[in-house]
Amino acid sequence: MELNSIKDTFDRVTKKQKLSSSKSQEVIEQLGQEIEQAVSKLQFVPGAMSQPDHKLILTELKTKLNEIAPLSQLESTQKELNIALTKYPKLLEKSFNPDISKAYRNVDFDSHTVNQIIANHFYQEGLFDLGDCFVNEAKAIEATGMRIPFLEMYQILHAMKSRNLEPALKWAATNSDKLKHNGSDLELKLHRLQFVEVLQNRGRDEALDYARTYLSPFASDHMAEIQKLMACLLWAGRLDTSPYFEFLSPTHWEKLAKELNRQFCNIMGQSHQSPLSVTIAAGVQGLPTLLKLMNVMMGKKQEWQSMKQLPVPVDLDREFQFHSVFVCPVSRDQSSEENPPMLLSCGHVLCKQSITKLSKNNSTRPFKCPYCPLEVEVSKCRQLYF
Amino acid sequence: MEVEPLSNGNSAAAAVPNAAAAAIAAAAAAAPSSKLTQLTESLKLEHQFLRVPFEHYKKTIRANHRAAEKEISAAVASVSEAADDGDLSPDAAVQRLNSLVSRLQGLKRKLEEGSRTEHLQAQRCRARLDHLESADMDNLSEWNNTRLKRILVDYMLRMSYYDTAIKLVESSNIPDLVDIDVFNEAKKVIDALQIKEVAPALAWCADNKSRLKKSKSKLEFQLRLQEFIELVRAENNLQAITYARKYLAPWGATHMKELQRVTATLAFKSSTECATYKVLFEPKQWDYLVEQFKQEFCRLYGMTFEPLLNIYLQAGLSALKTPFCYEDDCTKEDPLSQESFRKLAQPLPYSKQHHSKLVCYITKELMDTENPPLVLPNGYVYSTKALEEMAKKNNGKITCPRTGLVCNYTDVVKAYIS
Repeated sequence: MELNSIKDTFDRVTKKQKLSSSKSQEVIEQLGQEIEQAVSKLQFVPGAMSQPDHKLILTELKTKLNEIAPLSQLESTQKELNIALTKYPKLLEKSFNPDISKAYRNVDFDSHTVNQIIANHFYQEGLFDLGDCFVNEAKAIEATGMRIPFLEMYQILHAMKSRNLEPALKWAATNSDKLKHNGSDLELKLHRLQFVEVLQNRGRDEALDYARTYLSPFASDHMAEIQKLMACLLWAGRLDTSPYFEFLSPTHWEKLAKELNRQFCNIMGQSHQSPLSVTIAAGVQGLPTLLKLMNVMMGKKQEWQSMKQLPVPVDLDREFQFHSVFVCPVSRDQSSEENPPMLLSCGHVLCKQSITKLSKNNSTRPFKCPYCPLEVEVSKCRQLYF
Repeated sequence: MEVEPLSNGNSAAAAVPNAAAAAIAAAAAAAPSSKLTQLTESLKLEHQFLRVPFEHYKKTIRANHRAAEKEISAAVASVSEAADDGDLSPDAAVQRLNSLVSRLQGLKRKLEEGSRTEHLQAQRCRARLDHLESADMDNLSEWNNTRLKRILVDYMLRMSYYDTAIKLVESSNIPDLVDIDVFNEAKKVIDALQIKEVAPALAWCADNKSRLKKSKSKLEFQLRLQEFIELVRAENNLQAITYARKYLAPWGATHMKELQRVTATLAFKSSTECATYKVLFEPKQWDYLVEQFKQEFCRLYGMTFEPLLNIYLQAGLSALKTPFCYEDDCTKEDPLSQESFRKLAQPLPYSKQHHSKLVCYITKELMDTENPPLVLPNGYVYSTKALEEMAKKNNGKITCPRTGLVCNYTDVVKAYIS
């Protein structure tokens, strides 16, 4: 973003402000000096202590001060400063969106719910002190429900950082079924890592024992993996020079920590990224479009408050795409249960209603696909499930 | 780009002039959706971020200047008064002048201190400009993280959760990027109003008199009315009348109706059952004053009335909300799979799509020309990547994860989505 002109305008403000304050200092200095001079005259000039002379000195001082005209001296620098002070906010208004609340729908936005979301966010990010402080201050006691599971997760991750897999293995064993249900082989991966650790630190015999106890249950699904691990036994003590040196890479630890984080959240019924972060990030991306929309809808605030669907698409990055949305290229309708997407025999996809229209509601008569030269039959169209 | 009928049985949306809607849609589509444009657009939302510290800075400058002006003219006036005073003895003259000198020295010190404050505040304004400038593609995720923290601090400050605000600022070391000291000013007033104390609020009104007048604020009037009510509540009727003469009468020209209504409480007691007046004695009037003050305060500093968090949350929820979010199999990664988010999104509009966006059920990745969708014989669609991998692992066999159907990889066909 081009910020240079804004910076220049701001620098002008500070420059004028410095000028103005040094001018004030100067004027005060001048006044002080004049008065001090008058005082010394009064005290040391012989005869000054007599009535007429001291009057004279005071009148002289008065005239002098009027000549200095301190306030009008300040005026010109002050004026320049004022110009700079008005210019800068105007430039800000021009360069930025001066009111981002224009697209805010004035609905009941329950602050209690918002507070719960925030407390969960703090716990999910591992900021337990902050979360506790917030829960206390905002009186969002119910939100503490998430504290314990997230705390457990961070304890596991913390242990993994110091190369201790015990808590992770314990958790994986308790949640073995759920992990399998998710299609995750996290448990095996943890055991693999532990096996390599045992082999490196405690030698071949213990590693073999470990494999017998913990790896054998995975034999049915992961035979190839286990074979590789067993071959590692041959290189005990010099694994780094073996064909299996890759098992020692520290990236395994990082990757596994990430996967554990993901699986842990999933099993808890949470997203692995804080939903608050995700929503705010989507809001930052969507807000500019919404504000443009509001400019067009000016004076239709009422409609904005009540519409059921945004009139324009808000483009978000693919990381915010959580659901398949099919828009019929002919009717531009979003597919729904009543109007599902259908695959034509040529491979193009349209919504059911469009097909009904194109075939003139005659299911036996073939019609031409709008996207290729092929003739297709309604009866051969298949419903799709995304 | 064609103008499509705004459908989905949505009358409110359809009421938007079609041409206008199409114009925005075209603008949205025409803009290169590059990351950089997106970043610039998001930076343009940061008006308040630059405006608030500037207003604070301006306020300090003005206050310092006013103090200097006042003292200087007082000094000049005092000298001319001394000169015109025929009876002033020489000793008294020396004494008076000396006291003037020390006053001017005091002013000098005060201005030096004021200048230091000005300098610090200017630095803060500058730091924010630098922070905006520092956002680029390389540090984006960290920058976005800081933005979320800023937004959260803004929320805490507006909701008066000061402890959390301070803790968050300290732990993330962003003192220059948040407005804690601006809100400290508000905190004093709000704390006082909560214990039914109006003096700090009135002092604040006096401090910002000219600007409040410009925006036709009636906060001061409302505060005065409340003080009057409290006098009536205590049955100090005579005092109440004196108070009304002094502080309420000047507002008569513009706010006669309210004035009449409130002064009529003299005829009723705080125990009145008459609804029109009963409500004036209710304690929630004080909460209302707090709200009024917050609004004026935000207006003065160029802040939005709503916490930034609420604004971004709403925009995000509208952009994310689809009918699919409310289905049982909604992925947990979607914020709208959670009850609390659903509740907040409930009164908000659904998003709209002009183009199909298909997400693979297995990999959760977008299916596009590089990773085209494939159709199983049963009509279920998955991405090429997912099915290829599955076929490789299982000797060319595919198992549909949703129906359990087993088929050959050669049985799947490509679907063309436009």
